[in-house]
Amino acid sequence: MLVMNNITKVFRTETVETHALKQFSLTVNEGDFVAVTGPSGSGKTTFLNIAGLLESFDDGEYTLDGRSVKHLNDKQLSQLRNEKIGFIFQSFNLIPDLNLFDNVDVPLRYRKLSKAERKERIEHSLDVVGLANRMRHLPSQLSGGQQQRVAIARALAGNPLFLLADEPTGNLDSKMADSVMSLLEDINQTGTTIVMVTHDLSQAERAHRHIQVLDGQVTEQQLSKPELATVNA
Amino acid sequence: MSQIGPIFRSLMRNKVGALLIALQVAVTMTIIVNAIHLINARGDLISRSSGLDEDNQFYVTSVGYATDFDAPYVIDTDLDAIRKLPSVTDAVQINAIPMSNGGWSMGLQTKAGEGENSVPTALYMTDEHGLNTLDVELIAGENFKATEVSYRDRNTRDWPQSVLLTEALATSLFPDLSPTEIVGQTVYIQSNEPLTIIGIMDHLQAPWTGWTTINHAMLVPNKFDSPYSRYLVRAKPGQRDEAIAQVEQFMKQRDVGRMVRETETMTQVRMDSYRGDSALQAILWTIIVILCIITALGIVGLVSFSINRRRRQIGTRRALGAQKSDIMSYFLTENILVTSVGIFVGVAGSIALNMWLVSSFNLPRLSYIYLPIAMLTMWVIGILAVWGPALRAAQISPATATRNV
Repeated sequence: MLVMNNITKVFRTETVETHALKQFSLTVNEGDFVAVTGPSGSGKTTFLNIAGLLESFDDGEYTLDGRSVKHLNDKQLSQLRNEKIGFIFQSFNLIPDLNLFDNVDVPLRYRKLSKAERKERIEHSLDVVGLANRMRHLPSQLSGGQQQRVAIARALAGNPLFLLADEPTGNLDSKMADSVMSLLEDINQTGTTIVMVTHDLSQAERAHRHIQVLDGQVTEQQLSKPELATVNA
Repeated sequence: MSQIGPIFRSLMRNKVGALLIALQVAVTMTIIVNAIHLINARGDLISRSSGLDEDNQFYVTSVGYATDFDAPYVIDTDLDAIRKLPSVTDAVQINAIPMSNGGWSMGLQTKAGEGENSVPTALYMTDEHGLNTLDVELIAGENFKATEVSYRDRNTRDWPQSVLLTEALATSLFPDLSPTEIVGQTVYIQSNEPLTIIGIMDHLQAPWTGWTTINHAMLVPNKFDSPYSRYLVRAKPGQRDEAIAQVEQFMKQRDVGRMVRETETMTQVRMDSYRGDSALQAILWTIIVILCIITALGIVGLVSFSINRRRRQIGTRRALGAQKSDIMSYFLTENILVTSVGIFVGVAGSIALNMWLVSSFNLPRLSYIYLPIAMLTMWVIGILAVWGPALRAAQISPATATRNV
């Protein structure tokens, strides 16, 4: 489903070249729950950006759902992001001026779905995260955990190929973090693939696979739940 | 445009910036609509027909200084000679120049006696060449005969018996009669002195361009016995400059104890007369351009500020699948909504300001054709102003969504 082979990413300034990813290879299969960890500057956010089609790469091959993304233009990448990937951000990235309904609606509008279908998907996804009764509230009226649940609902509403979570519990206290992780586990149980970048090892242990990144390379892969995971990296 | 609902709801929750832009648009629109209205009203004044053949006319002033200066002799012989010059159509001595803002005015009344209603009019003294020199047509009656023309000086109190009136003056005096019926009627000058209307002229303006009854003018068959004399000359079509040279040369060569001075074309007279109006137009245009630039810059500033404040949000939208065109469309739609509010407030403001100007300064009522034109202009200004910032917003990388600083 997600296959990265020898991906290289170099950030250049006038004086410095930073090799963010070096020969980075990883395969994620359908139904996986993969945690990517590593210290600051290890390249895990760069991996997430490239995996999420938010950033280009210099070399290597990246195939998403059987399609090479290397030569896609901005419009094609946007469509692919919209249809195949659900994003969950550390800071939730909800739009503060929009209520929960409109926030979940944002990616669906870009897909130009009918109003009725959008409404059905929004209500269903907010129901999945337990916030169906608060869809007219503003993000500022919710706790951090609830806001992250809305972000998860927004990611789920588009029926993505996989969820890409960037430190989803990084801004939450331990109780809320546990609640969000439980929700992600439940979602994964229903067959949704999840790739999660985190530096919290205890959260990473709850994924099926735990990938450690250092200096832009995969240094170690562990099967946290070997009975459920398939390693192809 | 599919984003109108969320954009509107978002604006409703974040009103201050939007209201500032809307207010700026409303004020700008209110001012430019009325300024353009004033410009066009001044333009209508400036472009009014004087009734003259302005392109081919000029006047020249002769001032006698010799102690034995014989004004009637000099005037008659000057005019005879000028009329024979090859580039001249006709010439006449005249007491006032149309549009020059200096001249004579009198009151005419249809009944004799003190206290009767009188109608103000400009008074031009010419001989029987007046109509042809001025290029004024008679629509009824007949011209003066040469025998009717007499000299008068500043002590003369009597008036000649015949008079020519403009149609506007004639119908003002006799609103129920046609021009043909007005010919032969008697009007009274200086309350009791009768004048017989022998002809009706199509159009001739008074000398004062700001006069409310500018189309009221009359010709009387008089020449003025004075050392100071003005000749109005009508050149043959296209030969005005040659005519000026020929007339000046003739008059300067003639040794009759006088100076020739102040030759001015009617084109220059019109420019001088309406210089204040032209200046006002230029000032108002400058204000309009400055206001439009300030409004556009205001929109650029506020939209740029808004975009900088929402960089993460824009990145998030891009991450969630927005194409660059969606981001452009978002900010253009947002601006059109805000500008539209300002425009509709501006329509009300324009009408209100015009009503105040009409009641306070007796200005003409606003022509409503300006409103849709101004609305379109403000929308275009708004779109052009937001285009650059929106284009920059569309370039924000989707990776901005994952940056935590």
